[in-house]
Amino acid sequence: MNTTNRLNHAYSQAPWRVQRQWVSIFLLIVLGFAMIATLYLMVTSEAAIVGREIQDLRLAIITTEHTNADLQTELARLTSSYETQRRARELGFRPMKAEEVEYLYVPGYIAPKAAALAAAPELQPSAPSTSPEYTQSLLDWLGERLQTPGRGLR
Amino acid sequence: MRQQYAWRSMLLNGIMAVVAVLVILQMVRIQASAEAEAFREQADTFRGGYRTFYPERGEIYDRNGHLLAGNQTVYEVGVDLINVIDPHSVAMAISVNLGKSYDQVFTDILNPPPGISYLVVDNFASSEAVAHLKELKKELNEAEEPTPSLAGLEFNPRLKRSYPETALASNILGFVNREGRGYFGVEEKYNDLLAGNPVRVWVPNDPNQAVEIPRVPNGTSLILTINRDLQDAVEDILDYSLNEYGAQHGTIIVMDPQNGEILAMAATPRMDLNHFENYGAIFNNASEYNRAIGMPYEPGSVTKIFTMAAALDTGLVTPNTPFLDTGEIQIGGVTIRNWDQKAWGVQNMVGCLQHSLNVCLTWVAIQLGPQNFYGYMNRFGFGRLTGVDMSGEAAGRLKVPGDADWYPVDLGTNSFGQGLSATPLQIMTAASAIANQGRMVTPHTLYAMLRDGHQFNVPPQYAGSPITTETAATLNEILAVSLENEASAALVPGYRISGKTGTAQIPTPFGFYDFNQTNASFIGWGPVDDPQFMIYVWLERPTASPWGSQTAAPVFSEVAQKTVILLDIPPDSVRLNTAAR
Repeated sequence: MNTTNRLNHAYSQAPWRVQRQWVSIFLLIVLGFAMIATLYLMVTSEAAIVGREIQDLRLAIITTEHTNADLQTELARLTSSYETQRRARELGFRPMKAEEVEYLYVPGYIAPKAAALAAAPELQPSAPSTSPEYTQSLLDWLGERLQTPGRGLR
Repeated sequence: MRQQYAWRSMLLNGIMAVVAVLVILQMVRIQASAEAEAFREQADTFRGGYRTFYPERGEIYDRNGHLLAGNQTVYEVGVDLINVIDPHSVAMAISVNLGKSYDQVFTDILNPPPGISYLVVDNFASSEAVAHLKELKKELNEAEEPTPSLAGLEFNPRLKRSYPETALASNILGFVNREGRGYFGVEEKYNDLLAGNPVRVWVPNDPNQAVEIPRVPNGTSLILTINRDLQDAVEDILDYSLNEYGAQHGTIIVMDPQNGEILAMAATPRMDLNHFENYGAIFNNASEYNRAIGMPYEPGSVTKIFTMAAALDTGLVTPNTPFLDTGEIQIGGVTIRNWDQKAWGVQNMVGCLQHSLNVCLTWVAIQLGPQNFYGYMNRFGFGRLTGVDMSGEAAGRLKVPGDADWYPVDLGTNSFGQGLSATPLQIMTAASAIANQGRMVTPHTLYAMLRDGHQFNVPPQYAGSPITTETAATLNEILAVSLENEASAALVPGYRISGKTGTAQIPTPFGFYDFNQTNASFIGWGPVDDPQFMIYVWLERPTASPWGSQTAAPVFSEVAQKTVILLDIPPDSVRLNTAAR
């Protein structure tokens, strides 16, 4: 019996030591929560800022599109048939008569039939602009890696 | 002592537990109350909302890339009534800059309709007016005094259709109303393509929940076959001709007879498309919007070419077939006479067309018989829509045997273009078979579509071959020789032209013809060996002269001379020399 008590006494920790351990565990938990809360706050505030920037950019796109349309229309107005003729008359030009036209033979010349107005291709409307890394779950990513031939896990 | 502390501790714990339970109960009660439901609904309302994103309407260009219809920013100006500090200043600024009634705006701000927190003052305020208002609002905001103030005045930009060429080609283009719907012409015909597809998405107000808004593709842009400079020139000539010949209205069409591309189409009246609200004051009905396609009329002698085409194609006549013109012919119990009431003696088919003899063409139609004659007329497309890609086309009328109102005399009158009705474009479509080696084209205005940076050209379409290549060549030659023999006012120096005049009496609503007024027409194309343009002129009720040969024919010549310059078509001698090299 005495031997047992002695052993217990020898291996049991001092009460202040147990207390300190509990306090440490509690502080660790608090610290963990604080870190998570800080991270959450950082991420949400960052997301809010980016969201606001997206809204601003969206507005800027609309404004730019409107400005483009306005400028294009204004340019068309300034180069309209009426305006062009008015400016030409002011500069002393007059419409040509058929008998004044002189035709010149240019070997190999092929007159253009009509305008080719196609601009550079725009982005595919349906193409997602968010990278898959931000939308895929771990399982999605794993599945994609396994199903893509020649692309093992890295 | 320790026991005493234990009881105190338990009592304190019990009280706190009761308080906690009470707090939880209260929370549950609040969450389940009717007010909570109202608050939740309110929160949902402010969480975001569905917004419709409208694509930018596609533009319209002429064949050389000149913008005919574009878009321009206008503003919706409104008053956010909750934020208004100084109603007097707001009403005054709106009145001065937007031309609205001060009293009306002031009253509306002070006594808005029930349930309204945002008052729309102007839906289509110009950029200039709004820029001034914005500047004023900014200046007043920066001032230290609370009033005057334009707080509450809001501006929302949007795009509206704009036509930089104002009235040019207005009959072809049509217009777009304030709701964004196209009316008449190309704007109506291709409204779905031009307008694009609006996208409706839920947009949160919380920036933390920013969602990706799908990109709304713009409406399809169109490139028309119209040549702006030619259109302008043709409109000028038409306006001048109406004045010169005292005609009430007129129509001129220029088309490429080899592929059906409409190069210019002028008609009166026209309107500035930026002020489409004047439509009611300018047009009496929709068919007047574009007379070239919407107003069938009795074209007169221009249709003699189709009677002759049928006769040549069936082998009934050749250019040298003789005909003794006695000045009158009986059909269905009615006597048909020539335009000058005279007998022209012995003629051949060239002379019949050259002198535009009604008696001769009636004889040709009698020889053909109703079945053959109307069979050819049907193949030429009379009484049917041409399928031109503009809204508002009318089909005209061709009575045929079996119709309740068809009489045997109609065979005779139809042979020289009376008793049937057709639009100028229908007649051009039919005549394209003669100019285009027997193959009839489908007239069209769409050259290409622009979408997502790609240009899709529209191939020409053909509407059958009513006559053979040989018949077309023979008739082409007959018509060219007739103009040359006649020294027609339609001739174009340096270019060989085929064509035919038309002078038609105008039917009255009482079933008789008005003998004092006529419709003067001319259809022609050239150069004869390789037709690159076909021109139709229709002058309504000219007072200077009733005859097409003295009114429409010179107008044709003038248009043709302008056309060859603007389309870079060299004179026959130059062209043939070049081809021979």
